[in-house]
Amino acid sequence: MIRLSGVSHAYGDESVVRDLSLSVEPGEVLAIIGPSGVGKTTLLRMLSLFVHPDAGRVAVDGESAWDVDADRRLALRREIGMVFQAASLFDATVARNVEYGLRVRRSWDDRLRDALGSLVGTAPTPDAVERSLDVVGLGDKLDQRARSLSGGEAQRVSFARALAYDPTYLLLDEPTSDLDPRNTGAIEDAVLEARDRGIGVVVATHDMHQAERVADRVGVLLGDGLTEVGPAERIFESPTDERTRKFIAGELVY
Amino acid sequence: MSVSPEGVELVTVLVDLPFRDGYVRSIISVSLYVSGVAVALSTLFSVPVALVLGFTDFRGKQLVKSVINTGMGFPSVVVGLVVLFAVSNQGPLGALDLVFTKEAMIVSQFVLATPPITAISLAAVSSVGDDVRDAARALGGTRLDVALVVIKEARYGIATAILAGFGRAISEVGSVLIVGGNITSASGVSKTRTLTTAIQLEARQGQYDTALVLGAVLVALVLAVNAVVVRFGDAGAMNR
Repeated sequence: MIRLSGVSHAYGDESVVRDLSLSVEPGEVLAIIGPSGVGKTTLLRMLSLFVHPDAGRVAVDGESAWDVDADRRLALRREIGMVFQAASLFDATVARNVEYGLRVRRSWDDRLRDALGSLVGTAPTPDAVERSLDVVGLGDKLDQRARSLSGGEAQRVSFARALAYDPTYLLLDEPTSDLDPRNTGAIEDAVLEARDRGIGVVVATHDMHQAERVADRVGVLLGDGLTEVGPAERIFESPTDERTRKFIAGELVY
Repeated sequence: MSVSPEGVELVTVLVDLPFRDGYVRSIISVSLYVSGVAVALSTLFSVPVALVLGFTDFRGKQLVKSVINTGMGFPSVVVGLVVLFAVSNQGPLGALDLVFTKEAMIVSQFVLATPPITAISLAAVSSVGDDVRDAARALGGTRLDVALVVIKEARYGIATAILAGFGRAISEVGSVLIVGGNITSASGVSKTRTLTTAIQLEARQGQYDTALVLGAVLVALVLAVNAVVVRFGDAGAMNR
């Protein structure tokens, strides 16, 4: 479980997240919904140990991530995959991109041998690479250059890249905001498949319908923090918080 | 493959040179050795410096950048003079006894090649997006992994930087003349004579045919280097 307890973060004078508590368990999909600019990205960056909160505690499986040394924190970070809003693929083949997370976890000896092997073209592609590309429906694109993919395909490869090393948690920041319905469907199917594998998935999205489709639990992040967290059905059908109700009804426009 | 008449003439000129065997070849190899080693060392120095300048903030960073930009246009004879003082008996490197050696020439070419290699590498690594570095970190990369990703993403720009540095080093006259001394051994084999300093000497002595041959070799080398730069650039563009 990744647990945020009373975390706050500010960029300069501008406080983005204030005294927020939230947790995610393996095997569930938690959607964070809210309008743009309320700190969804900052929240994910705290969950993924990218951002050190100004106050509060981030614990991964009970270990306080900012109270351990850097090596231990790296090990904790390696339990967490993150997919950004932009695909941000490396300038290489699809297979090399998806393999990256596996590669950095190997010893330097192995990596050197792998690098020499790829020069003479004998480095095999690990099964995990093909498996995770299959999850997003791009198993046939292994040898294609990442730069030649369409935007939707690139985002799906980016998802497969985070899935390949089998993280315990997977964080997605607006993963489908620029995608057409077909690619969006592929990503949402992949989210559900990741959950069924026992991965804890957090999706930050401004698309409420997407949250309804994939989420087990929903957290509603409005201007001044999480107004409500709970089972998706209950949040969408009978929100207790007045602001949440307005937001879901589309009356609260930012 | 047929040999063109011009080719035959060129070969004749080479064969008829008024020097012992291996004169031209030794000059070429001294030039390539000195410039090659200097550029290799400069690259090992410049790329990490470019990474640090590109991705960290520290006091005096702007000053370092200004020094590098100034260094790009720094007169090479002055560099030669400073290196000569440094390696002379009274200089800080005097104990190494480097006056009029290839090593001294390597030092001065290192100083000359470093600013352009650093500046062009800096431009290349700076163009690698934050998002790509974040992705490398998010996928479990250490700081070293992230740096390697940046180098890999900027590889075409860095290759251009290296070749630009090589171009500057190999076609440079002033500093290698001052610190190397343009020396041949008694048997007429180059010790510290490079293509550029040899051309200058041969032309002054009226040996225009030799000077022209050496000039042709130098131009051919520089063209070859530029052809590689252009190819790298094209390959980079094609992958974008």
